[in-house]
Amino acid sequence: MNLIGGLFGAAFGFVLAASQLHEYDTIHKTLRFEELDVFLLMGLAIGVSLPLLWILDRKQIRTVYGGRIQLSRSKVERHHIVGGALFGVGWALAGTCPAPALAMLSSGALYGAIAVVGLFIGLHTHDLHMAGGLRQEGDGEHREVATAEP
Amino acid sequence: MPWFVTGPLLGLLVVGLFVVANQPLGASGAYVQTLKAARDEHDVVVWRVWYFGGIFLGGLVATVLGPGFDVRTGYDAMFAAGWSKPVVAIVVFLATVLMGYGARMAGGCTSGHGICGTAQRSPASWAATATFVVTAIVVTFILTSVTSLGDLTMQNGVLTK
Repeated sequence: MNLIGGLFGAAFGFVLAASQLHEYDTIHKTLRFEELDVFLLMGLAIGVSLPLLWILDRKQIRTVYGGRIQLSRSKVERHHIVGGALFGVGWALAGTCPAPALAMLSSGALYGAIAVVGLFIGLHTHDLHMAGGLRQEGDGEHREVATAEP
Repeated sequence: MPWFVTGPLLGLLVVGLFVVANQPLGASGAYVQTLKAARDEHDVVVWRVWYFGGIFLGGLVATVLGPGFDVRTGYDAMFAAGWSKPVVAIVVFLATVLMGYGARMAGGCTSGHGICGTAQRSPASWAATATFVVTAIVVTFILTSVTSLGDLTMQNGVLTK
């Protein structure tokens, strides 16, 4: 499973760097609507994955190491909106986000290190604020699914 | 690689990780687990730590195969706008602290909610994604109206004055 994680991470990082998503300029000019490539990229990613996941979910396929496929869908709650807004402000200012920041750093852009550190601090600070009532990660992130070790 | 190649590739990766591990291809969760591992906590989801390292390395491979490793700040546009090194460093730092906090609160980021969550048809992800996209566009508009970032234009594929 660790190797699988490493491989998928590597593929993800590769695609991010290959599509220039790890560059500040790419994000900034997209949010300025000077170039729409990133929106198109994300749209296509969703366009491909949404129907495929829908079909796989309907067929209730068995995943290789995680049992029957289980998609995660949650009701909208306040923290999704507030968190999203805070994230959006930071995203516009920094022109990067969690995964691209790593690819940014490994491409030689040294301020990516500041971004990675900042992200760690931000994530951890939220956990500290939530101490005692730790929020489960959301639909887009890891959740507790029984994963058989290969 | 053009968007019409990388977009579908990313979509296939999302589906792939579900098919193999029944997990979403999110990124902020990888940071969370890596931090837990660094703090030597008990319940670390170890494969996400490998995944975290993988993103770094995968990006490195693409860089080496493509434009080549290039030591720079990564924020030339901000310098072109006339911002000093300390200012840029502080802006990037505070912005990413805010992003980390917001991502944890929302339960995901651009990959987690933006791609995986929306692909799973989660209302929470649609809401989070719409919120951060609209917010980012508005903040960018303010930045370009109010600061010298607005003086930058695209020249030879680079944002510069």
